[in-house]
Amino acid sequence: MTEPILQIRNLVKTYPNGTQALKGVSFDVQKGEFLVIIGLSGSGKSTLLRCINRLHDPTSGEVLFNGRDISQVQGEEVRTIRRKIAMIFQHFNLIPRHTVMSNVLMGRLGFTGTVKSIFGFFSDQDKNSAMKYLELVGIKEKAKMRADNLSGGQQQRVAIARALTQNPEILLADEPVASLDPATCHTVMDYLREVNKELGITIIANLHFLSLVREYATRVIALKGGEIVYQGSPKDIDEAWFERIYGVGTKDIRIN
Amino acid sequence: MNQNGYVWKRTIFDSLMFAYLLCVVLVVIFDPDQKELLDLEQNFQVFLFGTVIGAGLSFLLNKKGWKTLGEMIFEPPFKKAHAEEETFWKTLSGWQLVIFVGVTFVVGLVVTRFSIYELLDEDGFAGAMRLFKGLVNPNLAILPKAVLNIVETIFMAFMATILAIPIAFVLSFFAAKNIMTSRTGFAIYISLRTLMNVSRSIEAVIWAIIFSVWVGIGTFAGVLALMIHSIASLTKQYSEIVETVSEGPIEGIQSTGATKLQTIWFAIVPQVILPYISFTVYRWDINIRMATIIGLVGGGGIGTMLIQYLGQAMWPEVGTIIMVIAFVVWFMDTASAYLREALK
Repeated sequence: MTEPILQIRNLVKTYPNGTQALKGVSFDVQKGEFLVIIGLSGSGKSTLLRCINRLHDPTSGEVLFNGRDISQVQGEEVRTIRRKIAMIFQHFNLIPRHTVMSNVLMGRLGFTGTVKSIFGFFSDQDKNSAMKYLELVGIKEKAKMRADNLSGGQQQRVAIARALTQNPEILLADEPVASLDPATCHTVMDYLREVNKELGITIIANLHFLSLVREYATRVIALKGGEIVYQGSPKDIDEAWFERIYGVGTKDIRIN
Repeated sequence: MNQNGYVWKRTIFDSLMFAYLLCVVLVVIFDPDQKELLDLEQNFQVFLFGTVIGAGLSFLLNKKGWKTLGEMIFEPPFKKAHAEEETFWKTLSGWQLVIFVGVTFVVGLVVTRFSIYELLDEDGFAGAMRLFKGLVNPNLAILPKAVLNIVETIFMAFMATILAIPIAFVLSFFAAKNIMTSRTGFAIYISLRTLMNVSRSIEAVIWAIIFSVWVGIGTFAGVLALMIHSIASLTKQYSEIVETVSEGPIEGIQSTGATKLQTIWFAIVPQVILPYISFTVYRWDINIRMATIIGLVGGGGIGTMLIQYLGQAMWPEVGTIIMVIAFVVWFMDTASAYLREALK
């Protein structure tokens, strides 16, 4: 077996107010996986993703990206790893007043000089790749529209295109469909699967619905109170496990 | 969190009020002469003595369950939640408020030498009527000069605003709590905030006096004075807008590997630009009014013209000037209101 693309070792995150969001989490991610992390709100899923691309600083432990510990790097190096580990968010986090095209081009910010980017000088190559990924997520014709005029599902697709223009090795997805309706949910998830299968980008996603997990994940990790309580194939999660993760008396909601 | 931190505020409030009331009582009883009133050191000691007694009193009363006014104002919400309703005259704090307002009103009448007799004095009233007659019969011969001068005033306000914008724009990010997160950042935030608060609490008129000594009396001194004041005000208002921006786009841009400057430009600036413009237009509007006042102390423009005619008691000319000022202020006020409404 080849070296895992990402190795998490004993990751701990304690917030300044004393909350222990992660209490020593360890797992490996192989290249090309579609890994899904499940767990209740507050179980540490979002913190975990943000510790990987260093939107949050881990308190202790290691995050090995291609064999190199990135948990304590600073400055320029943080920006380099963020370029290689892209992220999409529950609330899309686009710039509402900018056009779709401009939003997608922001995926190139890490590669463009500060002054150049402020005056909007992106290379033709950047523009072409932005267009290519907009086409991939099926909203090429919306390129000149303002981002806040798009529906939620379309905005998330713009966010995926923005992430892809970074040419990332890993794509982190923090509850990518949690604020979408069930129908759009599947469209966005299908695009994520395409990104995973066709482009070979490793995906680590936080999800809420077990039905989605069973359909899309190649492997699943369950977090509870900042600790891993389950690790394995999504098909092996049965009712008993489900109750252990989400608490007794809960039922899975199906999305079809 | 320290839930009893408010006790300090309560005690200071109550003790200052008590010391003030004590001083009023002492003045009434002892009727001090001019020399005694000017003895700052002794008077300060008396006041200090009053605050100490007041602090003790406030502490004792609150401990016995008598709510003082300070307690009423500063008690934290969780205590307010289960307070019993009482009519105000049955409570200590109610009486405290009534006595405070009553005493202050009476003292105010004496200190400001309020006099109904002089207000109704016939000679004085006739003098005022002459003035009003002048004002309603403006001397239009000086209208061209007044217009020229108010244009100068408008440009003074404009220059002060324009020069203040870039400085305030840059400073506003250093004065925003959500951007200055590191320890050194927080130190910069605090010192910048303090500096801005100090320069804002010095009135533009005072700045004009300072600058007229520095660069000489005239329009330039006025512009500099307005600029300092505008920088301080705009920095504060801009930075408050920066503090309310939503975090989402910031995370979004950061996650692409953008630099700090890129994050500010692409995630924060689009969110703040409209409120910035709105506040800036309003600042220009305010600056025109302030420029008029600054002219009175030698800052140039219409204000300086006004004080010249005022000094010679040339009322018809003063009337013309006031008319011009009123028109411009009204126009700017209306225009800026429409602009700000449209920019929302």
